[in-house]
Amino acid sequence: MTDPYSQPRFIPNIALRSASSAELPLFGPRLARLGVQRPDGSPPLEVYTPALITATSRGVVPHLSRDHVRTTQAIRWVHVPFESLYALRVTPHAWELYVAACNPDAVVALSDTPFTPHPHSQKRLTKSIERSAIWLLETLKAQKKGAIPVAEDTDIPQGRHSNVFVHMAGGGSAQARTAFSQSMLEPLETRELEQLKPLQRLDDGVAGYIFDLVPLHQALSAKERTAPSIPDESHNAMNTITPRAEDSSHTSPELQNLLKASLHDLPPHKPRLVNSARSPHEILRLIRDVGIDLFDGHWAQRAADIGVALDFCFPAPAHSAEPRKSGILGPRRRDDGANDLGHNLYNAAYAHDHSRLASCYLDTVSSQKNADSAVSPSAGLRICPCAACSPVAPSAYITHSSVDKLSYTDEMGPPESKRYLPPFTRSYIHHLLHTHEMSAHSLLVMHNLSVMDAFFAGVRSVLESPSGGDTFGEKVDEFVQMYDESMVVFDEATVDWAEVERARGKGRMAREKIKQAESSLGRALDL
Amino acid sequence: MEFEVLARCHTTRARVSRMKLAHGVTMLPTFMPVATQAAIKGLTAQQVEALGITLILNNTYHLNLRPGTEVLKEAGGAHQFQGWRRNLLTDSGGFQLVSLNKFTKITEEGALFESPFTGEPTMLTPEESISIQHAIGSDIMMQLDDVGKFSHSLLHTLTTGPRVGEAMWRTIRWLDRCIEFHEKSGRSHQNLFAIVQGGIDSVLRDQCLNEMIKRKDRVAGYAIGGLSGGEEKDVFWRIIKQCADRLPADRPRYSMGIGFAEDLLVCVALGVDMADCVFPTRTARFGVALTFSGPINLRLGKHAADLQPIDGTCPCPTCSDGTSRAMLHHIITLETAGAHALTQHNIVFEARVMGGAREAIMNGNFPDYLKTFFANYFGDAGYPEWCVNALRSVGVDLLEDRPDTKVISGDGTVWEYSDRA
Ligand SMILES: [Zn+2]
Ligand SMILES: [Zn+2]
Repeated sequence: MTDPYSQPRFIPNIALRSASSAELPLFGPRLARLGVQRPDGSPPLEVYTPALITATSRGVVPHLSRDHVRTTQAIRWVHVPFESLYALRVTPHAWELYVAACNPDAVVALSDTPFTPHPHSQKRLTKSIERSAIWLLETLKAQKKGAIPVAEDTDIPQGRHSNVFVHMAGGGSAQARTAFSQSMLEPLETRELEQLKPLQRLDDGVAGYIFDLVPLHQALSAKERTAPSIPDESHNAMNTITPRAEDSSHTSPELQNLLKASLHDLPPHKPRLVNSARSPHEILRLIRDVGIDLFDGHWAQRAADIGVALDFCFPAPAHSAEPRKSGILGPRRRDDGANDLGHNLYNAAYAHDHSRLASCYLDTVSSQKNADSAVSPSAGLRICPCAACSPVAPSAYITHSSVDKLSYTDEMGPPESKRYLPPFTRSYIHHLLHTHEMSAHSLLVMHNLSVMDAFFAGVRSVLESPSGGDTFGEKVDEFVQMYDESMVVFDEATVDWAEVERARGKGRMAREKIKQAESSLGRALDL
Repeated sequence: MEFEVLARCHTTRARVSRMKLAHGVTMLPTFMPVATQAAIKGLTAQQVEALGITLILNNTYHLNLRPGTEVLKEAGGAHQFQGWRRNLLTDSGGFQLVSLNKFTKITEEGALFESPFTGEPTMLTPEESISIQHAIGSDIMMQLDDVGKFSHSLLHTLTTGPRVGEAMWRTIRWLDRCIEFHEKSGRSHQNLFAIVQGGIDSVLRDQCLNEMIKRKDRVAGYAIGGLSGGEEKDVFWRIIKQCADRLPADRPRYSMGIGFAEDLLVCVALGVDMADCVFPTRTARFGVALTFSGPINLRLGKHAADLQPIDGTCPCPTCSDGTSRAMLHHIITLETAGAHALTQHNIVFEARVMGGAREAIMNGNFPDYLKTFFANYFGDAGYPEWCVNALRSVGVDLLEDRPDTKVISGDGTVWEYSDRA
């Protein structure tokens, strides 16, 4: 295999390397290091996998301002905003501007995913595969074109890489999926061979493979019943990820077979990304059985949207009582003995709960206190570094006049070293959720992504152990045993969320507009 | 409270002061962002603090409904509850109670209203208002004032007529009850402000000022209330001037509900030290960015391909991170993150307007600062006449070096030109 790091040519500069001397397996748990060599010469971006990749909407991480994106350690690699990319591809100039503005590490080729009800006809699937291959080809061409500097005053690198991630087409048919993969391995036609030099096959320009689980789950469940149509009332609400209505079922062997059908003929050293996994349980199975490397944070971000603060860890605590050791109430235990994966903070029970979000993780201030006492009830717990559990006093303040320094003397001044503040509490976020304050979601997104990040760190540490794979299998079983996969807590939160949203009503925007008009006192801020 | 005037403008009534409260020093004049429900839209307390903000406002009426005083007491007060380490001001709850409830009846005892939760008749007395503000733990508390009888058809309070006089005298009696209750509580780290009422009637305002100045030793500062309810701007500034001229020099002066940049600077020139308004944070959610050359509406198509930040000289996280107008145009009103970015910018803009005033007053060139601001902000489109008049009353002639400047009469400064850039 060529070394992508040393070749400023039109090939991917994203590489997945096995963390051990062993080759990456085709299927089965893969512990690896994903490197992105940035063309501007900055140090390579490295992500240890299996890992989290954060979903974006219109180029932003929902609910987070840029300073929060930067301070959230869990967001190491932000998903490329491919919808924006498609919208802007309409004119070549806009495309160039977009590339100049974003300079993404990777782009995602669109795929033709049928949105008509399942199951699909053979003809429709064939068309979908063909179209997806054409779109991949077009994306590669556009990437190649991006190598030309667009303007003299921009610092766009001369040699663009073809870091294109491709959606694996083929829908719910294993045969169709295999056919799509094979089409990526066919030698290019003469004309394309010239256009995409030095690529020999489409796959040579592909950095990694993407699987969207939503249509796959739909395809599989359609075999038993008609896919439910969800009335999408929240469509126009600010980036609310619509709650999923169908039951969360276990990850079926059929699903895994579909993923394997796509991957079987392709080289094993390219990263594999799964979008919209339904639960940590499903993530664990896909790591264990298929060998998926990257997962988007959709599930955790959706949890934040509906007011759920995640509270679980991997490996699961040895005893289910352990989360309570810290003196902080753990998630609810259901009748079947399984624990919730988090807290529905809409619930009235949290109005008076002034503890940090998670029982499984410490906040930094508590951990600093614990360090002083020899016998700590919460020893061994990891710290949640998110801005909700471990807020940090600003290291600098914007000053607006020279006398402002009088506000920043003594202990109120910028701290010499990182100074942690007490965590935000369940009661506070409960309050923010019921008063429709957006800060609730900002705090929950950061916390939930951090819990997912810790979850993947737990996965990697188990895989690193000498007995690696075997231990991992046991730990997955324990996790599935301990935590409620049916996610009743999500259903409950969704009901509460919808109720509060409804109470707020559609009149909300209209009321805001009236207030806006009032506060502008007859000024025409043409909105 | 420690209150010390550090510098006075040689021309206008503007001044720079240092106000030390239980949660640190706030430099005046200042603008206070509003965190109605214990959060500034979408931001965390740490983010607001990093913007150089040292004083914010919580609304008593809202916090009393949710989370309620019991939760606030358990949490150790609103500072702890929202993670805010610096100074906090609360209103009395009276204004919101009257404006958000249809059937409010003012009696001598207090304001009678229907509980929005239970529908039960509920009484907010002056003592109750202070007691709630004690539970909140705000550094500055407002007395309960009688803002006048609520008229169903009008969204603002009365400003003239016999009811105004009645409300003014009741406000003074309620101030006495607030003082009594607060002094007995022993919570001397919290500071009580009186609210000057009297509508737009200068005789009533004078009578109110006489009475309230008498109580100076028992109040930490003064607010000017009963304005910004839709009165003419020319009346507005005259009342502000009348009050600011007479209020004791050794007490901070707070003008309630003021947020437009030109209003802020006129008030500062008249001697006002503090102001608050939801305008900068609310307008952010509608895609309007405030700049020194006037507000710009990022929803307009002209910004779709503009890769410049809102203001290249702005130190806010949004501009200093290089977030383009195009990006903001793309996400505003669709992504909460777009609103957060503009909220951060607009809060910093207001802080820069006031910080610039402090700097200029310290340096003795505040009149020049005013002239430069108006030239940049209103440009050739025309200056509001009331601003010109108000600043002339304190010795600054905005038109001195630019006699050809258009002057717009009435209240309306229409912003359609402001998006010309
Ligand atoms: Zn956390
Ligand atoms: Zn800015």
